[in-house]
Amino acid sequence: MKILNLIKKYGTLIGFIGIIIFFTFNLPSTFLTAKNFINISQQISMLAVVAFTMTVVMVMNDFDLSVGSMASLAGIVAAVLFSMGYPIWIGILAALFVGVIGGLFNGFLVSIIGILPFVATLGTLTMFSGFAFLISGGRTIFGRDIPSEFSSFARSGIEISSLDLKIPFLSILALLILFIVWFILEQTTYGRRLYAIGGNTEASFLAGIKVKQLRLSAFALTGVGAAIAGLMYSSRVASSNPTQGSGLMLEAIAAVFLGMTMSEEGEPRVLYTLLGVLILGVLDNGLTQMNVDSYIREVLVGFIVILAVAFSSITKKRN
Amino acid sequence: MINYGGIMKSCIKFISFTLLFLSMFISKSWAEKVTVITPYLAQPGTQMYVEGFKNEASKKGWDLNIIDTKGDVAEVISRIEDAVNQKVDGIVINVDPSQIAAGLEVAAAANIPVVGMDSGADPLLVTNVTSNGYAMAAETSVYVANRIEGKGNVVMFVFDAFPPVQIRGVIADAVFGNFPDINVMDRITPDVQDGGIADSRAKMEALLTANPEAGSIAAVWAAWDQPAIGAMQAIEAAGRSNEGIVIVGIDANPQARDAISQGGNFEASIAQDFVGIGSATANAIGRAMSGEEIKSKVIYVPTVLITSANVGD
Repeated sequence: MKILNLIKKYGTLIGFIGIIIFFTFNLPSTFLTAKNFINISQQISMLAVVAFTMTVVMVMNDFDLSVGSMASLAGIVAAVLFSMGYPIWIGILAALFVGVIGGLFNGFLVSIIGILPFVATLGTLTMFSGFAFLISGGRTIFGRDIPSEFSSFARSGIEISSLDLKIPFLSILALLILFIVWFILEQTTYGRRLYAIGGNTEASFLAGIKVKQLRLSAFALTGVGAAIAGLMYSSRVASSNPTQGSGLMLEAIAAVFLGMTMSEEGEPRVLYTLLGVLILGVLDNGLTQMNVDSYIREVLVGFIVILAVAFSSITKKRN
Repeated sequence: MINYGGIMKSCIKFISFTLLFLSMFISKSWAEKVTVITPYLAQPGTQMYVEGFKNEASKKGWDLNIIDTKGDVAEVISRIEDAVNQKVDGIVINVDPSQIAAGLEVAAAANIPVVGMDSGADPLLVTNVTSNGYAMAAETSVYVANRIEGKGNVVMFVFDAFPPVQIRGVIADAVFGNFPDINVMDRITPDVQDGGIADSRAKMEALLTANPEAGSIAAVWAAWDQPAIGAMQAIEAAGRSNEGIVIVGIDANPQARDAISQGGNFEASIAQDFVGIGSATANAIGRAMSGEEIKSKVIYVPTVLITSANVGD
């Protein structure tokens, strides 16, 4: 019985360790190395930022489908300003501002107007994407328009010469955002109230929690996270494309769901979201190194998400 | 009752399977590993590159991994990092190299050669295999000059904002400028928002109205197929198909091939050899992997002029 409980509680973690062991055996010399894991941390950094801040709204049982479009839009806003000759900090500030405004707009639709998050953010997904195309004229902004100081951020890091390793700035930034989101959600009354809303909106409202304001602000946080991820993406590819963020949304939600299978109450926890992101990133990295066809890879990743969530919901039902 | 025969059979099966796996493993570990990474595998042109590459790679016995990042350019960088980490022998990319410099630097640091498959040139690439835009424009403009016997008014459709198309215009300018009796009557940059056909048609209709007498326009040279199709539609709509206006395009897309096969005004276009680019890329990365120094940063694969004579091939 004890073992069953253990599997129930740590099934996803055990699965993750299983995946690591599998790749370590199959790729003995290249997988389990510091360098490869630093690689992975950089590869997942953008998805991680989106998933961490997505956790904030999912704590309240809400969704934000517009994060991918917001990431595209933020990257485009910064790039267009760069191409007009504005300094880097203005481009970045403007992109973050767009993230806040877009997030607040989502929050307004969901909490003030009362539209279902799925529908409201589906609408803004299309709107933000349209704006990104409109502002960029549908083209990719690259080359001389992107200042080299901006794109070199994603290529640089803190050198640890004694180990011959470089910790990329993108990974450090993602860690910083993980810490901030963890602090907000787990260490402040604000965070506890968000969890309370997720537990029972009605009861929270009756208990005097300002549900509307809190939901509004939570969506703004998610919007900023998406904008940061968009800037990271643009820096990494030294360009901005109006569709660059479109892959982020579904993977971020998948990561949060994978993480939720870890928590006993089935709540999103940002540290568990990290585990979800890691599972996705490690699978991509390991399967690529094993020369697994990229389409099979996709099928496998989807299957593993379903497997983890199904397993956890079955074991929880038995409880 | 023990079925010895059955046990023997399964033993043999087991051993042969093990041997098969072992031999696969050994041959795999000895074969050179090449990774092809593209965000555009869904596009027909890219599929033809990859087909040509695959054919050549299987002749060379390579352990080939083709990765489609489905439009995601950042993932191309991630997959380059993975391939470098996996210590592949060579990497081929099919995406603007300036956007994936982060990945190319990682490959360069590990001394793994990267070749571009119609990607654009870059100092971090060993070489880029593509079609010669200059040569394509030269062939079609010379075709026009010869067909109109070196005299008459020519309409040009150009697009100087896009470098690969701009170079085509430069060559056509030079060729037509070299014939004293050829006059470039207009050099039109169509609006391409709608794909380039509709606006080119409108511009051509205006020109036809302004030049009503037969023979006043001898030819239309277009830097790509869409304006040529628009011009053809305008000429047909104006009922002037019989004046012998010669139209040429570049790229030989299916619509252009269809028009050429009809035997009307649209007489010629030029086709890139996508499959050939794929196999030439495989040869280039093979040379780079064997340690050969490839001097030219660009390798051109010949193109084919498409006329009614060979459009059906």
